[in-house]
Amino acid sequence: MDHKIYILIVEDEIEVMDALVKDLEDFETVFPIETANDANEAEEVIHYILDHGHKVGLILCDHVLPGKNGVDLLIELQKNEDTVRSKKVLVTGQAGHEDTILAINKADLDHYIAKPWTEKELIDVVRGQLTDYVIDNEKNMLAFMQVLDAEKISEAMRKHKMTDH
Amino acid sequence: MSDQQGISWLNDTEAILRFIKRLIKELPELKDMVMDLNEGDLLFSQGEPLEYMYLILEGNITLTRLQPDKTEEKLITLGSGSFAGLISFTTGEPTLTSGKITQKGQALKMRPQQFEQYLNDHPRLKHPLQQLMLNNMIQRYKSNLRLQTRTHQLSKDLSKERNDLKKAYARLEETHQMLVHQEKMATLGELVSGFAHEVNNPASALMRAAENLIEIYSKFESNHYSYKLFKLGLNSQPVDSNTQRERMLMIEKRYPWIHERSSVRKLAHMADEALDLIDDNRKKGEMETLINHYEAGKMIHNIRIASNRIANLVKSLKSYSRQDQNKEAYEDIRHGIQDTILVLSNRLKFIDLELKLDEVPKTCANIGDLNQVWTNIIVNACDAMKDQGSLKISTEADGSNIIVRISDSGPGIPENILPKIFEPNFTTKNQGAEFGLGLGLAISSEIIGQAGGDIDVVNRTEGGAEFSVSIPIRDDC
Repeated sequence: MDHKIYILIVEDEIEVMDALVKDLEDFETVFPIETANDANEAEEVIHYILDHGHKVGLILCDHVLPGKNGVDLLIELQKNEDTVRSKKVLVTGQAGHEDTILAINKADLDHYIAKPWTEKELIDVVRGQLTDYVIDNEKNMLAFMQVLDAEKISEAMRKHKMTDH
Repeated sequence: MSDQQGISWLNDTEAILRFIKRLIKELPELKDMVMDLNEGDLLFSQGEPLEYMYLILEGNITLTRLQPDKTEEKLITLGSGSFAGLISFTTGEPTLTSGKITQKGQALKMRPQQFEQYLNDHPRLKHPLQQLMLNNMIQRYKSNLRLQTRTHQLSKDLSKERNDLKKAYARLEETHQMLVHQEKMATLGELVSGFAHEVNNPASALMRAAENLIEIYSKFESNHYSYKLFKLGLNSQPVDSNTQRERMLMIEKRYPWIHERSSVRKLAHMADEALDLIDDNRKKGEMETLINHYEAGKMIHNIRIASNRIANLVKSLKSYSRQDQNKEAYEDIRHGIQDTILVLSNRLKFIDLELKLDEVPKTCANIGDLNQVWTNIIVNACDAMKDQGSLKISTEADGSNIIVRISDSGPGIPENILPKIFEPNFTTKNQGAEFGLGLGLAISSEIIGQAGGDIDVVNRTEGGAEFSVSIPIRDDC
């Protein structure tokens, strides 16, 4: 595997960021985590990842951010060729708020997680989203299988083989 | 509507009438046309074609017209010298009115078809009759003009009344909305203070649990390197993600054998003091265990920070909402401003806030109400600045008043709407927004008015709007 698939977490509150990173650390054996405190930094980090030949598999984004807010960031990333395939999850303290609905509709949001979240909920969502990303975008799925939904991946691999021949 | 004096116009008419009466005596065929008018008789009915035209010699005929609501409206009373059935006679159409004899007398009854004939046959009659008809027409015209003027005046009165009614209704609607809003705020205040109270329990439990954990840890491992690591984690400083990335590169060089990215990340968070401690004790314990001691401390640190924030928010919420609303108290209004800022900290997160709360005397005020005013102004400012810019709040006293100024770096208020912004229902925001009722500033103005103060707004020359609120200094509560 010559390229890595990154998880990007965008969150401005250090304590919340700590908690998100901690909950997702098991994924890091396969999917390195990158962090950003605001939208600008997130864009820089994404460029950095892409420039080094890697990919962004999942963007986990806080709702209220300094400067450009999370919803606007996700909408922009959805319009961008380089990040349109990345899975996008909004982490919001304002579930049901108009903005969240806007994000779901406009940013083609894959999921949103309401604060406060539970570890299981967060891990399930991240695993599900990364599994879908890998199935849609990667030829060699085996390399990612250990932290993902193994059943779904093996089924996808079987189908993949069948269409190959 | 009696038009008696209008009908018995000029002496002319009487002269003409006298002349006609003399002619009647002289001419037998005219005499045949004279009929008696008996009081109470109906001469003709509205809507019927008219067979005769009548010249009243003596007595009165009252014309009435059936109104759309089926009532009979008395239009005019015709006296001697007047023609009845004149219009119908001229137009040939069915009569527009009914004619009832209201005073007995005599009339000259003429068939319209033969009228021309009479005039030609009796040239002496022609001129006086024509003069009489003309006078009648002039009279009718005058009366019509008077009616039109009256109608015009009436409809003017009516539309004025309608406008007054509209205004009264609008005022009622405003008052109603304000009352509803105030009621909502009161309910909200109760809810908030109840909520704050409830949240306090779990928040205190959280804080206590964190402190207890620290104590337990210290008993377990006091003076041990692992406790020192825990302590360092507990007192760790936040690291932003840029610094974090730089330090991760440094860690990868310092510990090239560590491949676990999560371990690299955790080490990158540590200050050099902690890293040195790890290096000194690496042989005694597993790297992972060493890191975990620090992590445990850091997590309890995070619990402390978070629960402290909850506690502070709750405190300011309680103080902000003031359950004892509607009571004036002798207080320092700056406390209310500070509570408001804390409660609005979410909105003010990315706003450069400049506070210049100079010493001001205490005064009798309803702090809860005033907080609503600060909230409205600040939230409007945040909206205007799209949550980015600078907000300046200052207090000062000028002897008899406390003056609070709140200015923002937004686009300011367009001059054309400036005079209107304290009016109820004036809003620049579309529906749906939280504070888009258009009542915020109207209520603020009401509250300040009740406090005997003044609220005003100007656009600053350097840009942005500045609200100033002055509140009289009193100690009579």
